[in-house]
Amino acid sequence: MNEGDRVHVERGGQEFEGVLLPSSTPEQLVVKLESGYNVGIDREDATVDVLESDVYDIESAQDEDGQSSIEFEEGLPTISLISTGGTIASTVDYRTGAVTAQFDAEDVLRAVPDLAGRANYRGRVVANILSENMTPEVWQDLAHAIYEEIEAGADGVVVMHGTDTMQFSASAVAFMLDTPVPIVFTGSQRSADRPSSDNVMNAVCAVEAAKSDCAEVLVCMHASQSDDRCALHRGTRARKNHTSRRDAFETVGRRPLGTVEYATGDGDTDVSFRREYQRRGEADLDIAADLETDVELVKFTPGTGPAMLDAVADSEGIIIEGTGLGHVNTDWIGHIEELIDAGTDVVMTSQCLDGRVCDRVYDTGRDLLDAGVIEGEDMLPGTAKVKLMWALANTESTAETMRTPIAGEITDRSVSEAE
Amino acid sequence: MSEYDYDDLGLVAGLEIHQQLDTETKLFCACPTRLRDPEEASRTFTRYLHPTKSELGELDQAAVEESRVDREFEYLAYDTTCLVEEDDEPPGRVDEEAIETTLEIAQLMEMEPVDQAHVMRKIVVDGSNTTGFQRTMLAATDGVIETEEGNVGIEDLMLEEESAQRVEETDSGVRYSLDRLGIPLVEIGTRPDISSPEQARDAAEQIGMLLRSTGKVKRGLGTIRQDVNVSIAEGARVEIKGVQSLDDIDDIVRNEVGRQVELLDIAAELADRDAAVGDVRDVSEVFAETDSGVIGGALSGDGRAMAVPLFGFDGLVGREILPDRRLGTEFADHAKRHGAGGIFHTDELPAYGVTEAEVEDLRDAVGAGPEDAVALVADDPETAELAIEAVADRAEQALDGVPEETRGANEDGTTRYLRPLPGAARMYPETDVPSVDLDPSEVDPPELLTEKISRYQEEFGLDAALAEQVAYGHRMPLFEQAVEMGVDPTLAADTLESTMTELRRDDVPVENVTDEHFEELFALLVEDELAKEGIPELLTALAENPELSASEAAEQQDLGSAGEDEVREAVVDVVERNEEQIEAEGMGAFSALMGECMGALRGKADGDVVSDVLREEIQKRA
Repeated sequence: MNEGDRVHVERGGQEFEGVLLPSSTPEQLVVKLESGYNVGIDREDATVDVLESDVYDIESAQDEDGQSSIEFEEGLPTISLISTGGTIASTVDYRTGAVTAQFDAEDVLRAVPDLAGRANYRGRVVANILSENMTPEVWQDLAHAIYEEIEAGADGVVVMHGTDTMQFSASAVAFMLDTPVPIVFTGSQRSADRPSSDNVMNAVCAVEAAKSDCAEVLVCMHASQSDDRCALHRGTRARKNHTSRRDAFETVGRRPLGTVEYATGDGDTDVSFRREYQRRGEADLDIAADLETDVELVKFTPGTGPAMLDAVADSEGIIIEGTGLGHVNTDWIGHIEELIDAGTDVVMTSQCLDGRVCDRVYDTGRDLLDAGVIEGEDMLPGTAKVKLMWALANTESTAETMRTPIAGEITDRSVSEAE
Repeated sequence: MSEYDYDDLGLVAGLEIHQQLDTETKLFCACPTRLRDPEEASRTFTRYLHPTKSELGELDQAAVEESRVDREFEYLAYDTTCLVEEDDEPPGRVDEEAIETTLEIAQLMEMEPVDQAHVMRKIVVDGSNTTGFQRTMLAATDGVIETEEGNVGIEDLMLEEESAQRVEETDSGVRYSLDRLGIPLVEIGTRPDISSPEQARDAAEQIGMLLRSTGKVKRGLGTIRQDVNVSIAEGARVEIKGVQSLDDIDDIVRNEVGRQVELLDIAAELADRDAAVGDVRDVSEVFAETDSGVIGGALSGDGRAMAVPLFGFDGLVGREILPDRRLGTEFADHAKRHGAGGIFHTDELPAYGVTEAEVEDLRDAVGAGPEDAVALVADDPETAELAIEAVADRAEQALDGVPEETRGANEDGTTRYLRPLPGAARMYPETDVPSVDLDPSEVDPPELLTEKISRYQEEFGLDAALAEQVAYGHRMPLFEQAVEMGVDPTLAADTLESTMTELRRDDVPVENVTDEHFEELFALLVEDELAKEGIPELLTALAENPELSASEAAEQQDLGSAGEDEVREAVVDVVERNEEQIEAEGMGAFSALMGECMGALRGKADGDVVSDVLREEIQKRA
């Protein structure tokens, strides 16, 4: 008896006939009935007859037959689709019952036929992992892959990425690359195997953004719960602010940099921007992908003693997510000073997320500055972590780099933006 | 319509009964299972749906056909719906109350629960589910119910989520309301053991009675829906969706048998004539100068007229197969599914502004002779082509007899084509919800309504009519609750049934009275804060001001149960006013004074108490 066999199962007078499916537990048989329903039957009590072997090849059922029908069209821009895994490129794993990434970029083209006719596509797989498994090493592979794609003539790059850590990867790429073309990260919050997946609109809008004039690293995701438009966030200012909603991503502190109006069928998909951005061709392609990965992000909350810092004492760099304007319990300050004296760069950010760190207002802040802490301006803590990795490996003065905008991660002026 | 010999025809029918459960919360989230008025919506959002493949790599035919129409769905959200209904949060675990009720139902139908219920996604891309699928699980199999014409097997019992309520068509698609989405729904499928229209109805009634016996099913319009599967020996399996009323079931079955008989007859006739379906042609030229408003309008701009010759079909396209529905109506249903407004065919032409000469030209243009028919669609080029191809496909099926399909019930007992029969490919696992171990031993068998009727008579002394009224009435759980609280059973039953009926006849808007109102009312009775005489007045007040609680309404109406002091005060008042009469008549004055006392106390006091006090006071003076 193997998975994919047509079987007859009897259990206490009840009879079932169908295809044996992979089960997540050894105690249970899972049978797909003629009606399409799956049922679980206790293996111990069941009598199984194999009616026909290998009716279905479960392993390859997901694979498409036939080749992609995508053809090169003269006059359309070339967009490189880079897949790293994640929900947008995922489908159900019937062994574990979980959603995993199984698609390469070609599959995405087949899965989203709406992409056809919008560009000529190059496909590339850098990784096939869920974004919680993303590492700085993959960021580097990704940056090199994007660099090669642009060098090979891509007019824009779309990176399909899991949403959990998309903002980190987008920040890393933004620090590592000078780009003459748009690099657009997109993903989906609802898996591609459901008719309501947000992958179709996100992918279409990402391709349109990648064709636009904005040569920056962007995150392109739903702007609202409706399938009407995507927001374009600067990668270094974006944050996943909801666990499950389609419009989970927000630009912290401001409205998104741009918008892609979505239109189905032959309608025009319009890309617009609210603020200044780096234009296509303004920058020359360059890469600086080195990272000092020995950097940690530490969050201070009431009741957390300075011993927390012992665990990260030998790090090359530490980002502290402090309270308010950038504070920690006074007890921490001596420890922090010791770390800095021992050669660790310590950068202060705020768990308020929105607003600028200012350690010159209260005594605690002034003491932190005296101890040698670097103010992280209005950088998001996660972005600051990625930047510190990059700064330690690529620049002379870490402190100066951390306070200087490199890729839109710091805004010069804090402004209130009306809706 | 003539009566058929159903045995002879080999009638096989099955039922699918869908019943909403009256649980506290929805199947996959903590939202209440309350219906709302679309006007109460707090937000709207719009979505598109795209068909996806099953885990076996197959696309469902019904889903593909549905998705050909690129539609935008708008959803109304409420303060009683959450992100789960909006498909913006993964579903929670399966509601335990719903599982319990499902197991009770399984037990009532002598079914065997499966060991583990696996939640499946049944692809539905018409927008009625925000996800693009309906979550459903097979919970039990192999049951049986009794009908007068013999046992009917129950094949399966599913627990699933109710779909969103369709509000209306919009310019770009359909508007749906999320209040209904996610209410637990059981689907009960019978075996095809039903062999007459009457037995179909009997089985449906029996299932309805068993469902209501749980006391945990929703009541009222739309909370139970019947689908009927019908085939005859030479015909095909046809699923008829959305039969709203039990009374329609036998008519639906009768009509479907008639339709299949007619279609078989047409097929036989077509075979005799050596009929065939020809190639689709563009016949726009024929109607370049037409006076027909419909065709002319469709052809203005870049519209096209497309036609298909139906060789040997003359006279049969216009043949009636259901009351007022012809074979041509079936063709039109298919054309409409692909976006066309309808079709024309030569059996009904010349008419609608189409001239005799145009009909002749049309026949010539497609090579059709006098024994042949021609079907025609005029619309924008894409729609016209899709629609006429759909008509041609349906005409091909007419050569073979009865096509398998899903049909929708019309209000007049006829049916219309909806879509192809769904297959197993529309199902794939819902990986967001772990499978559920079903343990039937945790469930006590509910008392059947028929058993309740006897018990209400024996235990509570209700008369037979009232017992039946209560047991079958939708306030049966309230009745049991009231008795539990210590309310006199007859008073509880009268309050819930007779009093409500009387008030309804007096045009009191009793539908506004909620279960909570009744619970509060019974509590007031038990705590002696309300006299039974005050019940009609209180219910009227609540019906007219449903925002009030029962105690607030009682206070407003001054219905608080009068204490003995207050009763005595009022009685003494009455007695003193009528001293002469008492002196003259003694106890003979009792009846007249009793009425006056009750009037003075305006329903605030229990009649027995008043009568005791009055008797005492008269005796003192007589």
